[in-house]
Amino acid sequence: MRSKLKELQSLLYRLITAPEGVAQGLERETALPAGGLGGIIAGDERLSALARVEIYANMYFYRILDALKEDFPATLAVIGADNFHNLITDYIAAHPPTHYSINEAGRSLAGFVREHPLGRAHPFLADLAALEWAVIESFHARDASALDADAMRQIAPERWPALRLATHPAVRLLALAHRVERVLAAVERNEEWSPPAREPSPTLVWRNRSMVFYRVLEAPEFEALDAAHSGATFAEICGRFAAAATAGDAASEINRNLSRWLGDGLLILGGA
Amino acid sequence: MISRENFPSLGIGVGLRRVHYGWVLENRPRIDWFEIISENFMAPGGRPLEVLEAVRENYPIAMHGVSMSIGSTDPLRREYLARLKETARRFEPAWISDHLCWTGVGGRNLHDLLPLPYTEEAVRHVARRVREVQDFLERPILLENVSSYMAYRISRMSEWEFLAAVAEEADCGILLDINNIFVSAFNHGFDAHAYIDGVPLGRVMQFHLAGHSEHGAYLLDTHDHPVRDEVWALYEYALRRFGRVAALVEWDDNIPDFPVLAETAERAREIEEKLLGERGVNDAVQAEGIAKPALPPDNRA
Ligand SMILES: [Fe+2]
Repeated sequence: MRSKLKELQSLLYRLITAPEGVAQGLERETALPAGGLGGIIAGDERLSALARVEIYANMYFYRILDALKEDFPATLAVIGADNFHNLITDYIAAHPPTHYSINEAGRSLAGFVREHPLGRAHPFLADLAALEWAVIESFHARDASALDADAMRQIAPERWPALRLATHPAVRLLALAHRVERVLAAVERNEEWSPPAREPSPTLVWRNRSMVFYRVLEAPEFEALDAAHSGATFAEICGRFAAAATAGDAASEINRNLSRWLGDGLLILGGA
Repeated sequence: MISRENFPSLGIGVGLRRVHYGWVLENRPRIDWFEIISENFMAPGGRPLEVLEAVRENYPIAMHGVSMSIGSTDPLRREYLARLKETARRFEPAWISDHLCWTGVGGRNLHDLLPLPYTEEAVRHVARRVREVQDFLERPILLENVSSYMAYRISRMSEWEFLAAVAEEADCGILLDINNIFVSAFNHGFDAHAYIDGVPLGRVMQFHLAGHSEHGAYLLDTHDHPVRDEVWALYEYALRRFGRVAALVEWDDNIPDFPVLAETAERAREIEEKLLGERGVNDAVQAEGIAKPALPPDNRA
C-alpha cells in the first residue's frame, strides 16, 4: 500500500510540474485508471478534477516565480516580466527545486541564464544573475568574528608574515566580465539602468553588520583577496600587491587595502 | 501522552515577517508571542538570526515549518531535522509545528502543502513518521490541517477523522487552522462545525487565524486578506469547544503595517475574553478547567 501512495504522489508531482500544463502532462500518462484523472481526484460540477490539479500547478509555478523575482530584481528589470516568466518556466523545468528551503531555488539560475537564449540576447545577464545570487548567499552566510584593526595590533609584528588569513564566510569574489554592479545599484535605487560595459570586473560582495555590499576591485586587490580566500599567509597576500607595483607603492597599497578590509570585516584568522 | 498542561496558552500572537523586523525591534509592540517560519531561520547566519535573537529576548516564540513533508513517501530528511533541532536549541521555542501534508517526492520539492488521501494506510504511514520525528527532536510536535483544493477517490474517512487518527496514533498535538477549515469546507462542501466537533479536545494546542481570497468556484488560502467574519465566527465556535488555546494571526502577502496585525490579534483577544474571561495568572493550569464547564458534553471522545 505504501508504494500506492508513492505512485499517487509521483503522478501528482509529474502533473503539477508539467511545463506545458496539467492537461498536456496527462496525455503523457499511460497507466491511468479507467475514468482517467477523475478516477483519482474527485471533481464536481463546480471544479473538475483537472481544474483542481491545475490550482496546484499554478501555485507551484507562481510561488517559485515570486521568490525568484524577489531574489533577482535586476535580472527581472533588465528582461521584463514576460521574459522573466518564460525564463523561470524553462529554468524550473531544468532545475526543479530539491532543497527544503525556497531560498535555495535560485542557486542554479546564473549558470542556466548563460546557456539560455535570453542570456545570449543580453550577454551581461548571466553576470548580473551571478552577482544577485552572490548577494543572497552573502546575506545568509555563516557568522564569524571578523578581524579588526585592534585584533591585528594585538598580534606581534614579527608574527604577521606567517599569519594565515581567510576571508569571512560572507565574502564572495566574482570574476565578472561586465560592470553589472552598476545595473544592480541602479535597480536598487529605482533608477534607470543602462547596458554595462564589457570589461574585466573583479567584483567583491561582502556583509557588514548584516548588510550586504558590493564593489568592483582593481586586479591586485582581487588577487590578494583571492589569495586570502584560499588561506594564504599575510606575506603571500602582500606579494600580490608587490607584483603589480614598485616597492614603495606596494607598501602603501598594502596599508591602504588592509585597513579597508579590516574596516569592512572581510578577514578572519585562517587555520594554523 | 501529550497533554495540554505542557502547552500552556501563549495568548494571542502574530507571525514574524521580514517586512516588520525593523518595526518590531524598534517599537517592541504589545504582542503575547511570535510565530516564525522555521525555514527562514535555518540558514547558517545573517540578519534573520540576529533579529530573532533580539525578538526572543522579549517574547516567547513557536517554530512553524513548511518543509517537513511528513506525509511524503520519501525518507525523512535527516539534515533538515538536524538543522531544525539545532535552531530549536538556539531559540527555545515553546513548540514546533508543521503541516499534515506532503510537499514533494522523489527528492523534489513542490514548496506547497498537498493533501494526503484519508486512508488507514496513510494514517499509519504518517503516524510512524511523526513518532520518528518526535523521537529525533526529543519533543512532541503539532501538526496543522491544511487548506486543500483536491480530494482523492481512495479516501475512506473525513479530513477531521484523518487528522484525529494521525494525532492519536502518533501521540502528537494539533495546530488547528480555523481559516483552513473554512476554506476546505467551501472547496469540498463539508460542514466546518462538524470538523471542529470531530477534533479531539485534548490535542489542540494552537489556532491559526488568517485571510483567504475568493476565486469564484473555490477559495484560496492566500494569507493576503483580513480574517473574514465567518472565520471569526468559527473561531468563537472553536473556543467554546477547546477553551483557551494560543492563537496566531498569519499574514503572508499584501502584508499590512504591523498595527493592523496587532489590531487583528486584539480582536481575537476580545473574543477570547468575552467567551472565557480575562487571561489569568495561572492559565497553564486552568486552560482545561475553564473550558470544560462551558462546553457541551463531548460525546465523541
Ligand atoms: Fe496556518
